[in-house]
Amino acid sequence: MIFFFLLLVIVLIAQIAEFFIPALPWLYNAHVYVVPVIVFYGAMALPFPLMLALALYAGLLLDALTVHVIGGKVEISAGSSILLYAVFAGIMHGLRPLFARGRWEVHCILSGICTSSIILAQYLMITFRRGSLVFTREIWWQIGGPGLFAMAIAPIVFWFLQWLGRITAYRYLPERSRFE
Amino acid sequence: MSRTNIIALLIFGAILGYFLSFGSESTRKFKAGVYQLLAPFLTTGSGLQKQITSVRTGLKSLEQLERENAALQVENRALRATNQGLRDVEHEVNRLRHALNYRERSVFKLIAAEVVTRDSSTWWRTVTINRGKQEGIETDMPVVTDEGLIGKTTTVSDSISVVLLVSDENCKVAASVEGSREQGIVSGERVTAGLNPFLNLNFLSKQADLKSGQKVYTSGVGGVFPSGLLIGLVKSFRVRELDGQAQLTPAVDLSHLEDVFVVTGRK
Repeated sequence: MIFFFLLLVIVLIAQIAEFFIPALPWLYNAHVYVVPVIVFYGAMALPFPLMLALALYAGLLLDALTVHVIGGKVEISAGSSILLYAVFAGIMHGLRPLFARGRWEVHCILSGICTSSIILAQYLMITFRRGSLVFTREIWWQIGGPGLFAMAIAPIVFWFLQWLGRITAYRYLPERSRFE
Repeated sequence: MSRTNIIALLIFGAILGYFLSFGSESTRKFKAGVYQLLAPFLTTGSGLQKQITSVRTGLKSLEQLERENAALQVENRALRATNQGLRDVEHEVNRLRHALNYRERSVFKLIAAEVVTRDSSTWWRTVTINRGKQEGIETDMPVVTDEGLIGKTTTVSDSISVVLLVSDENCKVAASVEGSREQGIVSGERVTAGLNPFLNLNFLSKQADLKSGQKVYTSGVGGVFPSGLLIGLVKSFRVRELDGQAQLTPAVDLSHLEDVFVVTGRK
């Protein structure tokens, strides 16, 4: 449980840190998202109920800090990010055996794809409200860029969290023997 | 699936359903509550970021001098903003006196605020400022700098507020063009590649024929933004199928916002 609470704290810190990380001008102003990578690691390392709790917590934070009420209208309802996190974390949780067999690259790539999918889903939701569905090069890069960045940082984040799990004597780590 | 997982899933579904049922007011309250909880972290983070930037750029000075300098800068900007407001109001009052004999307008009441964070999300253009309900700020109040309009407040908690920038697609401002009778609606673009976005002035007449460099001011229609606030300068004009559209360069550099002023009313 210590590890789970540590993950909650790390998610909070990462979510606040995202406010201070500037967009990447060389990548069409793409933003840097760290929280999804942490949540997706949690999806692999935590049991199903705790995975849902982490998705709930991270989704709530994302909704509270990024979704805006403008002129009495909410573009993305509170709770939609929870659903997105839960669905993608569920997929990652289902692929846990691969991670246990040491196939980290699959989850690193999936972390990137899922991060971009969350941003794409947000874009589709706001487009549904605002109208005019357009996909320019800038939009593709702003959706794909954070995913690429998430893929790049995933090994480091996974390694750090794995190490954190070990030092907190967390038992539900994906050990090879559990799946073989 | 084990019994524990099913129960967890049911609880999760119930909580999710609860949040999905939120209306705009509940969402605003929820958002304001979370912002209020995180306000100390965001303010501290902003301070740390400024310190790091200060060290990085090598602009070290005595603490007292730095504080005094910062206070003077804020005061200077406040005076310049008031001056700008006075100029705009004077211009408008003169116009109205000559044309319609409207009653005189007064200058704005301003609350100085500091930008704490920028929005970390991809699809919205907002900043967070370190002033809230405690200072008399409410939702939908215009936010300006000495150079012009930057946006309006959306979510307001006790000590922190979210400002929707004029460069956001959702921030719509009724505007008029200097030296013409043209009026339109200014809004931002959904996605911009650069740090300095352009604004669009829509619903102009096809015969508008605006020239580059013409100033665009808030027209006061709609009730949120008072008239006479500079929004930007015309960059280009094009005729569309049904109307004319001008592209504007924002009057304020929205990528480097530090000190801003919330307009709480007129003096």
